[in-house]
Amino acid sequence: MKNKLLEHLYGIVFVTSILIAVLLLFNSNRKNETSSRNVELNALLDMPISNINDAFQQALAEDAMNIFYPGKKQHNDSLFSELIQLKKARYTTKLQRAHVAQSLSFEKLVSLSGMYLNFIFAYIIVMLLTYYGVQTLALWRFIRHRNTIDQISSSHNSGRSVKSILAAIPVKLFKIIAYGVLFSPAYVLAYSIRTEFNTDSTFFMILLGVLSNGLLITYSNKFYTFLKIEYHRGYVESALVKNLACSWKTDVPSGIPLGALLHPRKRFKGHVLDHIYRNAHMQYIATIKEQASFLITGLIIIEMALNIHGHLTYEMLRQILYKNYDIVIVIILGIFYAVKATDIVTDYLMHRERLKYEN
Amino acid sequence: MKTDTNFFSRLYNSKDQLWTLIWITGILSLGIWDMVFLNKPAFNKVITGFFNTFTIAFIVAVFTLFLGWMITIALNFTERMKNRVPFLMLMFFLNIIRSVPQIVGVLIAYVIIAQAATRGTFKSGFTIFPAMGIAMSLFIVIELVDLMRERIDHFKKLDFYNAMRVCGISESRIINFHILWKNSRLHIFNKLISIFGSAVFLQCSVDFIISVGLSSDVNSVMLPSTLGSLLAKIDSKQDILAIGSIFTNPSYITNLFTLHLQGITVAFLIVFSLYCVYAISNGFAERHRL
Repeated sequence: MKNKLLEHLYGIVFVTSILIAVLLLFNSNRKNETSSRNVELNALLDMPISNINDAFQQALAEDAMNIFYPGKKQHNDSLFSELIQLKKARYTTKLQRAHVAQSLSFEKLVSLSGMYLNFIFAYIIVMLLTYYGVQTLALWRFIRHRNTIDQISSSHNSGRSVKSILAAIPVKLFKIIAYGVLFSPAYVLAYSIRTEFNTDSTFFMILLGVLSNGLLITYSNKFYTFLKIEYHRGYVESALVKNLACSWKTDVPSGIPLGALLHPRKRFKGHVLDHIYRNAHMQYIATIKEQASFLITGLIIIEMALNIHGHLTYEMLRQILYKNYDIVIVIILGIFYAVKATDIVTDYLMHRERLKYEN
Repeated sequence: MKTDTNFFSRLYNSKDQLWTLIWITGILSLGIWDMVFLNKPAFNKVITGFFNTFTIAFIVAVFTLFLGWMITIALNFTERMKNRVPFLMLMFFLNIIRSVPQIVGVLIAYVIIAQAATRGTFKSGFTIFPAMGIAMSLFIVIELVDLMRERIDHFKKLDFYNAMRVCGISESRIINFHILWKNSRLHIFNKLISIFGSAVFLQCSVDFIISVGLSSDVNSVMLPSTLGSLLAKIDSKQDILAIGSIFTNPSYITNLFTLHLQGITVAFLIVFSLYCVYAISNGFAERHRL
């Protein structure tokens, strides 16, 4: 664990230093952009001309220059016309970027911190909801799968009646719609209901984060696979020999109570599923890093694609557009820290789980 | 007759083949529907967007395989060296790539590619495809490297590895041929199917974001048109927004498939393809017991 933690710390220090170096480089480049290559011209840049388009003021300034540097009229003329052009260009650029140019100030950092906290809040909530949803959905699928197998093996009639086929149609339709929603990218889902609901709130962002982009279905399928693999391990047979409950029904005493299935802390005391779940859960923890990265990608897509004003990654997109790269770098650094923090927490959880079984 | 029954039952049991067939049939049926109801310029745009998206996703899968294999071999080689520094450095950089959310990495890479295209770095439109493929594969490759390293570690624990070493077979042949090619190619191929799906998803999302948020900086002339950028166009967006109207006016649903076809087609192509790729990958894993 110590080595892992050190590796993470080195990574944080390395990336922070690289990004700070890029930020300093960008700031120095921005300063250089405003100055001219001509040293003589640079010295004159601060010459006060209140209206550079006024011919009288231009003539006055030129006369002043000729008095200040006598005997160099031709040189002064060319230098002055260059100065006027440069001042005009700077003035136009300033006007064009008046509403978009921003630099990294204390006020900006405070405003970014607020957005960052909101992003982290949404991230933690979505992470917890998907953590719960992935396991519950996978367990539900697994129990249904085992139930179906039990029913097939106990029933002698393999054919399906017309009634049961008809009854299955609404379920199939619901499944198609559910899969359509779960596999939709967030922007498709959000735009399709935007006329009826306000999709720009944090609540909606959380909802989309959980349900869309294929996150829930992908990882619940992963967990389901872990459960299926664990079911075929030798210890399950040993547990059955030791008379652990093995009914997959939810409405019998020796089965799996629905409450235990829906409970955030899943325990199936006296049932073989308890052991299957615990072993699958340990493997699932190892995939949380991957899930977290996918989740952050999903949240970024939601904020950026839906143009949710005042949110962190929408702000990043805006700053990329306005070429305020110093602010972009700070936001990227913030997202990187969030991923690294998740990595550290996941490694700690894995370490704790391993210690439990090693002792 | 018996052969036909066998064919269908085999197809039903091979879920990956079944879903590939469903995907192709779905796309073709949609194509026929669009030929009838969608105007020709819009239909041509959808076809171009579809082929561009899937070409880039295919290039991503190919580059990821190449890059992943190279990195795995490099890791394996440096791990056995007495000097641990190159191995640790390589792992360190891979972990840093892992910590950058894919969408952020791909977005920044695409902005750089678009700026390079503006400066005329890419001589023809087709040279931009590999550039986009490489950029995306850089942020996806880690998944494949993890799988390959896992496979190598698993086989190294078995007797056959030591037996082969004793027989004088070189390490690189054992890794490249016996472990990765002979015993892991199905796992690798299955991973590549899901990477293909991820590439479609990322491609569409990044193009949608770029087209919505960075349209003045990066436009469709610089980057090839894909399903994501098509969906971001105002007419497609309005088509998708029209779906919401069925909550208040359910009878409007019939109009969606005739009057709002461009946006609905693009959205359907994305969602349907993502689901089919997922189902193909699962079916493949199930059929080969991976």
